[in-house]
Amino acid sequence: MEDLTKEFVAESREGLERMELCLTELEQRHGDGELIGEIFRVVHTIKGTTGFLEFSRLQTLAHTGESLLAALRDGRIQVTSELISGLLELRDGLQAIVEIIEARGSEGERHDDDDRDLIAWMKELEAGGALKFDGGLNRRRTGGKTATPAETTPQTPQATTTAGDTDKTLRIEVEELNRMMNLVGDLVLTRNRMLQCQPGDISYAEQVRRLNTVTTELRESVMRARMQPVGHLFAKFPRMVRDLAQKCGRKVRIEFEGQDTTLDKSLLEAVRDPLTHAVRNAVDHGIESEAERVRAGKPTEGVVRLRAYQQSGAVVIEVTDDGAGIATDRVLGKAVERGLITPEAASAMTEYEALQLIFVPGFSTAREVTSVSGRGVGMDVVRTNVEQAGGRVEVESRPGAGTTLRLRVPLTLAIVPALVVECEGQSFALPQGSLVELVYVPASEAVSAVERMGAAELYRLRDRLLPLVRLRNVLEIYDCDHSIDGQAQSHDTDTASATGLYIAVLEPEGRRFGLVVDGLRAPEEIVVKPLPPALREIKLYAGATVLGNGALAMILDAAAVAERGGFRVAQAEARALETARNMIAQSEETTGIEMESAMVLYESGRPGPDGVTRIAVPLHAVERIATVPINQVEYADATPVLQYEGSVIQLEDEGGLLAELDTARTGATVLICVTRGGRRIGVVVKNVIDVCAGELLPIDTAISNSPLARIKEKLTTVHRGFEISPRELETTEDRDHGTLVGAA
Amino acid sequence: MRATNLASAETTIHLCSVRAGEGLYGVDTRAIREVLGNAAPQHVPLAPEYLAGMLTYRGEVLEAVSLRTLLGLENQAGVHRILVLEQDEGERFGLMVDSVEGMVSVAASTLESNPATLDARGEAIFDGVYRTDMGLIMRLDPRRLKPTELAQSGIFEARTANTRMEAR
Repeated sequence: MEDLTKEFVAESREGLERMELCLTELEQRHGDGELIGEIFRVVHTIKGTTGFLEFSRLQTLAHTGESLLAALRDGRIQVTSELISGLLELRDGLQAIVEIIEARGSEGERHDDDDRDLIAWMKELEAGGALKFDGGLNRRRTGGKTATPAETTPQTPQATTTAGDTDKTLRIEVEELNRMMNLVGDLVLTRNRMLQCQPGDISYAEQVRRLNTVTTELRESVMRARMQPVGHLFAKFPRMVRDLAQKCGRKVRIEFEGQDTTLDKSLLEAVRDPLTHAVRNAVDHGIESEAERVRAGKPTEGVVRLRAYQQSGAVVIEVTDDGAGIATDRVLGKAVERGLITPEAASAMTEYEALQLIFVPGFSTAREVTSVSGRGVGMDVVRTNVEQAGGRVEVESRPGAGTTLRLRVPLTLAIVPALVVECEGQSFALPQGSLVELVYVPASEAVSAVERMGAAELYRLRDRLLPLVRLRNVLEIYDCDHSIDGQAQSHDTDTASATGLYIAVLEPEGRRFGLVVDGLRAPEEIVVKPLPPALREIKLYAGATVLGNGALAMILDAAAVAERGGFRVAQAEARALETARNMIAQSEETTGIEMESAMVLYESGRPGPDGVTRIAVPLHAVERIATVPINQVEYADATPVLQYEGSVIQLEDEGGLLAELDTARTGATVLICVTRGGRRIGVVVKNVIDVCAGELLPIDTAISNSPLARIKEKLTTVHRGFEISPRELETTEDRDHGTLVGAA
Repeated sequence: MRATNLASAETTIHLCSVRAGEGLYGVDTRAIREVLGNAAPQHVPLAPEYLAGMLTYRGEVLEAVSLRTLLGLENQAGVHRILVLEQDEGERFGLMVDSVEGMVSVAASTLESNPATLDARGEAIFDGVYRTDMGLIMRLDPRRLKPTELAQSGIFEARTANTRMEAR
């Protein structure tokens, strides 16, 4: 594209943005001549330049608009809401052509609708046919709506590409540029002097100081140049709120504060979508209908207020509405209904905790799905996006008085404070944004501090259980091959008992977990470098950085680590089982509990005759506790089977757990057990409760038909077919088919 | 330079000859931006096996592809030479080799196609062979060596979870 055209596109975009703002303002202040003048100038400039660049289609449209605006300026027609709508349509029409020009370099043809309708409409408006127009408006609107599915789907990518395009150019004050140039000059001079320095020169230290000052200043200057007022972001909202309010049949006014607050350009782009979503939500869910407002004694017009300000190294953007606020009881009810929490948990929740539920994926409190919002994706997307930009989202609700949503984003993304952690001798950076706190467990307590529930490792932090994820496992760094042989686990225990346990508590997307690392280093301000494509594919790293010691370090993406940690659950469970074995083997000497009497206690899908669902399986019979994605369960003649290590094993599914899990779309927990005869079967369980010592009792058919075991002084049913001791297991394997009696 | 690409009999091609294991390989000098002497790429956990790691080059993070791994050889410990390759303003990346021998000029027309018996790995990274005084030089195609291309080819195992480079 020619430079001239490029400049024209950039200028027109800016102008049209201004026009939109002026139009929405004009609706509030009908007679403002200045606003009309501004709008007129925008259209006039476009018309003038297009004539010169020979974009005839754009020119024709702009010309019609101009004559309409001239009529308005001269007072021949009055400002009506129809006129504003018409002018907004004109703006959109112009914008659409400008976008085509930007993409192709020429105006091309718009195939779906041409400008004729729009031009005819303008002419009608100019003639003062306001009422006739209404029909036209509706026709256009509905016409537009039917096209929406096709239109809105590409809307998002389109929006991002335009954002990407606007990203390419940046306006910068000449003064700032001069300042940068001066600093660069200074930098060159300092370098020259340093080059001339002899070893041991006294002035060397002074030069280093000078260099330090110059780089700091240069950095600040460049950062300043990247800073953009958030007002740019706000500009599109008046129009959006106007359209939304009309659609929802509400009266909503939007107010701004702190538009001059600046934010790094890349971050500005990053919060664009979440903010749009938040404003949308405020209008659709936050502000009540007119009737409701009257009943509540509020003015009929609702107010959405956008406020931006700086606060301790971060920029806060607040979206406040004066609506009904968030009804926590409704939130809780919905969460229970959706199965996100249990009723017991709901009743125990504080108001703050209940409010956090709106960020849970799949949660939406809208009573009905409207075209505006309420499709179940909402606040969770807002939070994910903001967190990706290194920020945080807070919500505050005053029942009856409104809701405030606060997006807190760092000033810049290029340089972030981070904590450097170590794992297997390698350094990794964790951005401070996702870090909640650091916990150190001294060596003496390290081994006992980690508790296990079924398979997961847990740490009790101020009486709350914190799931642990070992960075070593996430990165799949083991000293040996990845067959689960307990060696890696014992290694973990070794290092833990030698140096203690370093836990970085992270909370990405509301999932709090502890990342176990080998060591911590000092926090550093790191310069984030983008990753080359093949490394980006790994999807665990957010970037790379050069540390103060010159070493390269990967920046860990906390959310991805959590995800990976989850994927590793199956392995972690297997390891936990291994540890349980080890622990019991160790304690054998001390406590006298015999390895062969250890039991895996699990909750079965079907309650037993006495309503108890706890069933035990001797530990030696369990080969592995695996979490299997539900889609890996296959069926052979209605019998569920699983492919496991090259063979097909039958799954025992008591109480139809698989069907339940299938609807819930979660993974199934399967105990892979070896039966007598050496055959493997998989037992589908609800969850694994514990691994503990137990005593297998001889079968006495007079009491019960099921084999029993005494576990923690209580009688527990033992899974049929496994009521054998390891010795017997071996012998039966030898004999292949042996008659078995319960072990005495 | 572009015109010389047309295979006229007199066209000479300048190859930078490199060694990895026993073999001698050639890379068109036009694709080489720089040869780094003492580079020790930083290992990246979970990265595909053929990526020896990453390194910084002019403030940019580059991936280093290990020629040894591509050839099916074990990586060696210590310092390596890395050719920084970039063609037509495309993706920039490093190629880690054992040693850089020197410049070889060959007539473009003497390029012989890959022998039919070459395995899939070789087929994926060589685009022909030259007979020279120094012996056979397999010509490497920088385009096909790009990490993204290698990932797409699927010939090289995407990731071996636990093999760690000896050199770290």
